Amino acid sequence: MIAAAVYALGALAALATLLMLFQRNPVKAAMLMLTALLATAGIYLALSAQLLAALQIILYAGAIMTLFIVALTVLPQAWRDHPARAPFIKVLGLAAAAVILTELVQAAAALKTAVRPTGFSETGALALAQQLFGRFAFQFELLSLVILASIVGAVALAAKRRDA
Amino acid sequence: MSAYNLAALSFLLFALAAAGFLTCGSLVRMLMFLELMLNAANLALVALNPQPASQAYAVMLFAIAAAEAGVGLAILITLAANFKTLQAENIKELKG
Repeated sequence: MIAAAVYALGALAALATLLMLFQRNPVKAAMLMLTALLATAGIYLALSAQLLAALQIILYAGAIMTLFIVALTVLPQAWRDHPARAPFIKVLGLAAAAVILTELVQAAAALKTAVRPTGFSETGALALAQQLFGRFAFQFELLSLVILASIVGAVALAAKRRDA
Repeated sequence: MSAYNLAALSFLLFALAAAGFLTCGSLVRMLMFLELMLNAANLALVALNPQPASQAYAVMLFAIAAAEAGVGLAILITLAANFKTLQAENIKELKG
């Protein structure tokens, strides 16, 4: 049952990503991306990562998608008709992606014997918090520096635009 | 449910997003596919290890993804103001 849910949601996410490739309207592409992200949240739920599923919806589907929609609203350039790219570039890109997929699947051949427990367990916020504030406390604090740097960078870039 | 199938699923999602990143010319769309690639990597991290440690790493990757989207969109807004276009092939100069 859980395996079926994982595969169905994975197929939904893959389908949404595939449709995004051929979608010309940027807002429709953003909605397809939202579908893929929500399907991923469902996979997290099926894999007993309940807190991650909630965070995926709040952060990816909530914050990041809103950012993309706002960017599409602010940037009229994103709406202009896209000139058709040379077909050989598309073929080249698809071939490169196929090579990446083949290589990755071959590299993962060692996992064929590994079996993931299928039962539904509960990974509570407490277990996660113990990892974040115990074992990974240094990395977690370092992450706040990364976010601070990104805020400063984003504000500096936007402020430069106002001068010009 | 074997770990191999879960890995193959996340690799498929990653490859599809990579195909989109390589074939589309619009920078906004490229950023979207970049987020989806990061999302697929996150899925592999959670799917292959049921321990809480991998989920802690996934939480940190969420924060990285949010920071990346913020900076990426700020760069896009600056590029759009300087070049008046968001097609990757029209942006050829390093000096704006």
